[in-house]
Amino acid sequence: MVILREGICPGVNEEFIKALQSEDIKTVEDFVSCNPEELAQKCSLSYKALVAVRRVLLAQYTAFPVSGADLYEELLSSTAILSTGNPSLDKLLDSGLYTGEITELAGSPGSGKTQVCFSVAVNISHQLKQTVFYIDTKGGMCANRLLQMLQSKTPNMEEQMEALQKIKVLRVFDVFSLLACLQNLRSNGLQKASVGGGSVKALMVDSVSAVLSSMLGGKQNEGMSLLMQVAGELKMIAKDFNIAVLVTNHVTKDGNGHLKAGLGQSWSHGPRTRVLLQRIEGAGTSSLRTATLTKSSRQITGFEERNDLIMDK
Amino acid sequence: MEFRNDCAKINEMTARVRMAENGAQLVSRLEGRQSLRDIEPNIFPVDGGPGQGDVVEFHGLEGTGKTETLYHLITRCIMTVQSGGLEVAVVFVDTDYHFDMLRLVSVLEGRLAEGSKEGDGSENESEERVRSCLCRLSVVHCNSSVQLLLTLQYLENTFSSQPSLGLLIIDSISSFYWVDRFNGGESTVCQEANLRKCAELLNRLRRNYGIVIFATTHAIMRNYGSDPGVSEVPGSSSSSSSRRWRSADSATDFDKPYLCKAWQRIVTHRMLFTKSHVSKDHKQVFSTACTSIMTKGVKRCSFHVMEDGIKFVCDK
Repeated sequence: MVILREGICPGVNEEFIKALQSEDIKTVEDFVSCNPEELAQKCSLSYKALVAVRRVLLAQYTAFPVSGADLYEELLSSTAILSTGNPSLDKLLDSGLYTGEITELAGSPGSGKTQVCFSVAVNISHQLKQTVFYIDTKGGMCANRLLQMLQSKTPNMEEQMEALQKIKVLRVFDVFSLLACLQNLRSNGLQKASVGGGSVKALMVDSVSAVLSSMLGGKQNEGMSLLMQVAGELKMIAKDFNIAVLVTNHVTKDGNGHLKAGLGQSWSHGPRTRVLLQRIEGAGTSSLRTATLTKSSRQITGFEERNDLIMDK
Repeated sequence: MEFRNDCAKINEMTARVRMAENGAQLVSRLEGRQSLRDIEPNIFPVDGGPGQGDVVEFHGLEGTGKTETLYHLITRCIMTVQSGGLEVAVVFVDTDYHFDMLRLVSVLEGRLAEGSKEGDGSENESEERVRSCLCRLSVVHCNSSVQLLLTLQYLENTFSSQPSLGLLIIDSISSFYWVDRFNGGESTVCQEANLRKCAELLNRLRRNYGIVIFATTHAIMRNYGSDPGVSEVPGSSSSSSSRRWRSADSATDFDKPYLCKAWQRIVTHRMLFTKSHVSKDHKQVFSTACTSIMTKGVKRCSFHVMEDGIKFVCDK
């Protein structure tokens, strides 16, 4: 709800607000839903002033329609596909991470989600030379591991440092700081980063369930609302800045004992593509994992790929 | 109390007439819009297709084909009559940044290729055709229920001034459910206030301008009784719902209506989407079950989702 206050737009001064409050109109939505003619009759404001203010408020707060043809042109020129550096993962994802979408990696602890995030970050910063924002909510970010991965790609120290500089790490440990961080990024962080040369093409959140799952369950409405707000922020960032968003999630079992991504039905509408990572049974401490595509708007789901997560061999 | 309500209604109706209306607006209000009754006979009941002023709710879990069906219906509307379409302009309100224009264009290209003759023009021509079809579509993104309400108010002007606009799609109208529920505090009335105002506004739009409304809702509330598994927050809120929808199959345990009563009152058709079995040639089959307040019984249909859109497998 947007509360009507002085100065919200030209023409709205204190007496305007007082006159509206006497008619029990306190928010912008109430004001816009009222008929200006009736309002002019009931309170002491002029019809002209009411219509003018209504028009300005509508212009400020509504979203404007875009023609389909223009939207298509814009998308053709701005959508990009970022390779993850791992050919079998790329095959699952239909050539890589798409900008403007959220891709989700789900898996139980130790299934390799963080390692995959590291290798994707390293690939984007080194191979594609683009900036990556990495939001770490579990404390699992380890710069030494990133360096190790880079060292296997190039022996040149300068290149390694350059690539490391392109990975920006943000640490948040609860959902409110995560929301604040995402809102900050949306309002000025991303633009600042792209001014410094090198555009931001990817945002990773490892992991989203670490901060949200403690808020869910029981009769807490706040948890669901925060979950939807986080999903909304991530989607807005993906769409407005043409960024590929990669998030990690834990897994739970459904009624039939099959693994499914955590955080419930409401969250699952958010990501466009979902990959489930699993250890291979009986393989002991090997680094082999299977990745299964469980949700995709572009490919048939159920595809499985086995891959070795240790990239520097 | 009734008398006051009636007075208020009369006041509103005459106020509408008193408001200056130019010629185009008058024509668009009186003449009516292009009929969408045979937009897709496969999924709507016989003689029960969406007429003017009908509101169709597409309900289902994620990944059950709701948005694909919307793309299919949009292409049918925006294509020219020669290519097999209806030449009706569409407004698409996207509330969760879900709209995939590139996917819509591949479905559109597929259908245009089907409709045109062989060797009919070069690549440039087909691009031109796609572009001219896309000019009949407008997309709006909303990120909160307040913005949705204000945008619908703004769109009212658009509907009155463009008689070729026959379809409003909202995907999806349930995206702000949890955020509104929390913002409204303890009072259910406050929680539902924005959606109720949107539903009232949509009711006015469909009555005055005769447009058809399609809205998708996500199935997030579990029906108790069938599967005592882990579920979302107990929905003891507004959704002790309309008995009239019980006749549809409740084969899934996620088809409980949970949006406010004002919305449920204006819905005339309800389509439930589910994922069925996997067919012999490894294709996922999706099914719909459509009920409407005007016809008895349930119209069922199945489809596959292919590269270039939906392919129906109906056996009726």
